Amino acid sequence: MQWVKDKVREELATGYRGPDRGCEYHPCHFEGQDCSWCFCPFYPCELPELGTHVRSSRTGEMVWSCVDCEFIHRDDVAGFVAERTQEMNITDPGDRRIQELLTEVRGRFRTRAKAIMILGATSDAGKSLTVTALCRIINDMGYSVAPFKSQNMSLNSSVTLSGDEISRAQQLQAMAARMEPDFHINPILLKPKGDAVSQVIVEGRPFADYDVRSYYDEFIPQHGFAILERNLEYLKRKNDFVIMEGAGSPAEINIYDRDIANMGAARVADADCILVVNIEKGGAFAYAYGTVMLIPEEERSMVKGIVINNMHGQASYLDEGIRELEERLGIPVLGVVPHLELRLPKEDSLGCKDRAGEGPDVAVIRLPRISNFTDFDALEMEGAQVRFVTEPGQLSGADLIVIPGSKNSVGDLQWLKDVGFDAALQSVKGKVPILGICGGYQMMGSRIDDPMGIEGDGPGSHEGLGLLRTVTVFDSQDKFTKQVEGTLASGDGKIRGYEIHMGSSDRAGHEPLFLINDGVVREEGCLDLDDKVMGSYIHGLFDLPAFRRFAFALGGEAGRFGNDRDHIEDVEENLDILADAFRQALDIDGFVKDFMEVATWPR
Amino acid sequence: MASMMFLGASSAAGKSTLSAIVCRLLSRRGHDVAPFKTLNLSLNSFVDRNGGEMGMSQAFQAWACGLEPECHMNPVLIKPHGPGRMQTIIAGRPVEGGDLRERAFRTAMECFASLAERHEIVIVEGSGSAAEINLRSTDIANMRTARETGSPAIIVGDIDSGGVFAGIYGTYMLLEPEDRELVKGFIINRFRGDDSILEPAITKIEELTGMRCLGVMPYLAVRLPSEDSLDISGGGELSGTDVRQAWMDNLERLVDIAEESLDTDLIMDILKDSSA
Repeated sequence: MQWVKDKVREELATGYRGPDRGCEYHPCHFEGQDCSWCFCPFYPCELPELGTHVRSSRTGEMVWSCVDCEFIHRDDVAGFVAERTQEMNITDPGDRRIQELLTEVRGRFRTRAKAIMILGATSDAGKSLTVTALCRIINDMGYSVAPFKSQNMSLNSSVTLSGDEISRAQQLQAMAARMEPDFHINPILLKPKGDAVSQVIVEGRPFADYDVRSYYDEFIPQHGFAILERNLEYLKRKNDFVIMEGAGSPAEINIYDRDIANMGAARVADADCILVVNIEKGGAFAYAYGTVMLIPEEERSMVKGIVINNMHGQASYLDEGIRELEERLGIPVLGVVPHLELRLPKEDSLGCKDRAGEGPDVAVIRLPRISNFTDFDALEMEGAQVRFVTEPGQLSGADLIVIPGSKNSVGDLQWLKDVGFDAALQSVKGKVPILGICGGYQMMGSRIDDPMGIEGDGPGSHEGLGLLRTVTVFDSQDKFTKQVEGTLASGDGKIRGYEIHMGSSDRAGHEPLFLINDGVVREEGCLDLDDKVMGSYIHGLFDLPAFRRFAFALGGEAGRFGNDRDHIEDVEENLDILADAFRQALDIDGFVKDFMEVATWPR
Repeated sequence: MASMMFLGASSAAGKSTLSAIVCRLLSRRGHDVAPFKTLNLSLNSFVDRNGGEMGMSQAFQAWACGLEPECHMNPVLIKPHGPGRMQTIIAGRPVEGGDLRERAFRTAMECFASLAERHEIVIVEGSGSAAEINLRSTDIANMRTARETGSPAIIVGDIDSGGVFAGIYGTYMLLEPEDRELVKGFIINRFRGDDSILEPAITKIEELTGMRCLGVMPYLAVRLPSEDSLDISGGGELSGTDVRQAWMDNLERLVDIAEESLDTDLIMDILKDSSA
C-alpha cells in the first residue's frame, strides 16, 4: 500500500488537475471525469454506498474495493478536495485531518444524488417548467443538479456535443442546471411519424419504429426498464440532485404497470414526488385529488407535495380549496405559482401558436408533421410577427416565408401540393424571401429520391417545389446529428445551430448559404439571391442576430428592426425570472427541509 | 318531463358539444328536447328574437333541437370585460347590483320550469368544472342546479390533455356525498386511437364509483361555435356560405359518430329514470 500513499502524496502536492486526456486509460470512469485524484486520498473510506470489502485473490485477506466509485472523479468534488487540502496545508497522506475533510465533503456533496420527481396531473400541467425552475434554483444554491426525463414524445429535438439527439425541453433544463447536456438526461425520445407510429431514439441514436401498442407491449418490457435504470444510475452518481420529469399523467391506470416515465421511474430512482396541476383549465382540485388517489396505495406515500401552477389572479382565492385538498390527501400544497409570460423554447404543439409583433411579418407554413418549431422563438427578438399558416392565401403580406422542418418530407411535400402552396410559392418567388429549413429545404428542390421508401409509403422519386435545383436522396437509414458553428457565406456574421436529418442534398451549383466550421470549413445550404430563395439543414439558424438580419434584409427590411442580442442570453435571463417566480411561490425553506436532506445549508 | 345534465371535469372538457350532440340525437329520434344552462361565462353571445342576450352555445343547442333560441335557455350570462370586471345578464337583459347570485338562481330555476313545462326533455349543461371546492358555497351552475332540477348528471372528461381518469374520479369524489347520488355516468371525450386500450381503466372507475361509462367519443377536428377562448378546437373546416348551416352540418357528423360511440340505450334509461 505504500506505493498508493506515495501517489496520493504526489497528488496532494500537485493540487487540482482536471481531466487527464493524455492518459492512455482516459476516461476510465466516464466522459469528462476529473483526474486530480487518480488515487483517492480517502482510501479506504469504507462507506458502504461507495464500495465493498472483498477477499483479495492474491493475499486471501479482506480488502476495501471501490473500483466503481466515481465520487472523487466528479469535477466539483475533486476541485473542492484539492482546494481544501491546499488551504489546510495537508501534504501527508497519513494526515488525520483527511478524515475530517471527508466528513466535510460528505456534508457538501451527495455520494448519490437525491432524486425529486415532478409529476403532472395532465400533459400540460407545467412539469417541464417546474423542473427547469428547480434545476436553476438548486444550482444557484451551489449544488450540481441534472434534469431527467426517461421518455419524451416531441418533434422538437436538439443535438448534444457528441451528436446525440435529445429533447429540446431537457436541453433547456440542462441549461437551467448549468450542465452540458448529454443523452443520459433523456435516454428515450419518441418522434411521432404519423398514424400512431413513432421513431424511437434510444440514448441519442435511432433505435426502431414502434406503434403505441408494440411500444408498451414490447419495447418497454424488453428494453425500457433497463435503459431507465442505467441512465438514472449514471446521473445519480455524478450529481447532488436529479430532478426528474414525468410524462403525461401518472394516473393512466390502463398502462400503469408499463409506465416507465412516472411512478416507474420514481420507484427506480427512489424519488420524492411533487404533483403539478394547472389551475387555468379548471378542475385542478379534482385532478389533483384523483391523480393521487388513483396511484396504488403502496406508492401513494411517495407523493410529498402539490404545486398549483399557472394561477391568474389572487392565490388567496384558493385558500379554502387548498385547505380541503390538504386535509383529504394529507399532502401539503407547496405553493401557487402565478401565470408567467416567459420567452423560453416551448416543447409541444402549444409552441406553434402565432406570436404578435410590431416587426417583420414571418409566415411559417404549418406542415402537418412540422418539427423543430422552436427555431422561430428567436424571431421574437426582432419583434417579428410569426404566423403559422395553413392556406396559400395567408402568405400575403409576409416579409419572409419559411417552410420549416418536417418529420416526413415526402408526405408533407405532397400536402403542400394538395393545398396549393406549390403554385403560390412560385408566384411570390423573387419578391418575398423564401427559406426552407431541413425538411423544408429538401422539399424546395427539384426532386426527392427515396429509393428505399424511407420517407414515403414505398420506394419512389418525388418532384419537389422547384424553388431550388437541389436533389435530395434518402439512400440510407443513417441520421446526421451534429451541433454546428459557422458564418454566413460572405464570411461575416456568426451562426450557431444543429443538424438533424436523414438524406443528403446535392446543391446543383447553387451558391452556399453558410460556411460551417467542423474543423474543416464546408459549404452548407443554398442561396439564390435573384429569386430570394434560401435553404439550409441548420436548426437554430435564427438564434444569433446575423442570419435574422440577413434574411430580413433580403426582403428589403434592412435597418427597420434589430436586436443584437444572442438568443441564448435572452433565454438565460428568462430562466432567472422563472427561478425567481418559483422561489417566491414555493415555501423554499420548507422545501429545503423536506426535500433536500442536506446537512449544511445554504452552501 | 325528463332531464339530464352534463358536468365538466375541467373547463373545456366538451360539455357544450356533448350537450349539443345529445340534443340533436334525441331530436333526430323525434323527441321534443330543449337545452338549458344556468350560467355561462362567455363573450360569445347571441340575441334571441326578442332581443334577449344569451350564450352562443345554447343558441346552437337550440338549433340542434330544431328550436328557436330563447334567452331562458341560458338565463345567466356573465361577460368579463377586463380584470375583475364583468357585466351580468339575467334573463336576457343586463342588470346592475351587488350580490346577484340568489336572484340569478331564482330566475334561472323559473326559466328551467318554463322550459320543462313546454318540452318533453331538457338537456342541462354545467359550467366549468363541477368540483371547484373553493367555490362550493357560491357555485349555482353545477350541483345546485342538478339538485334543484332533479337532473341525473354525467361527467365529461377530455382525454386529449391527459389524466382523464384522475379528473373524472376526482370530480366525483370531491362532490358532497348526497350530490354523488345524482351522478350516474361519465363520458371520455376527444380520444385518438384504439379505445380498447382504455378498457381496464374504465372498468376500474366504474367499480370505484358505481358510475357507468356512457362511451368514448373520438377526437375530431370539427368546428362548432366555441364558447370561449379556451375552447380552441384546433382545426376543422366550415364549408358553404351560411356559417350556421356549416355548424349544423358538422354537428350532424358528430351525431353520426355518437350513435356508434355512445351507449344510447343507457342514455334513454337514465332519462326515463329522471322522469319517474
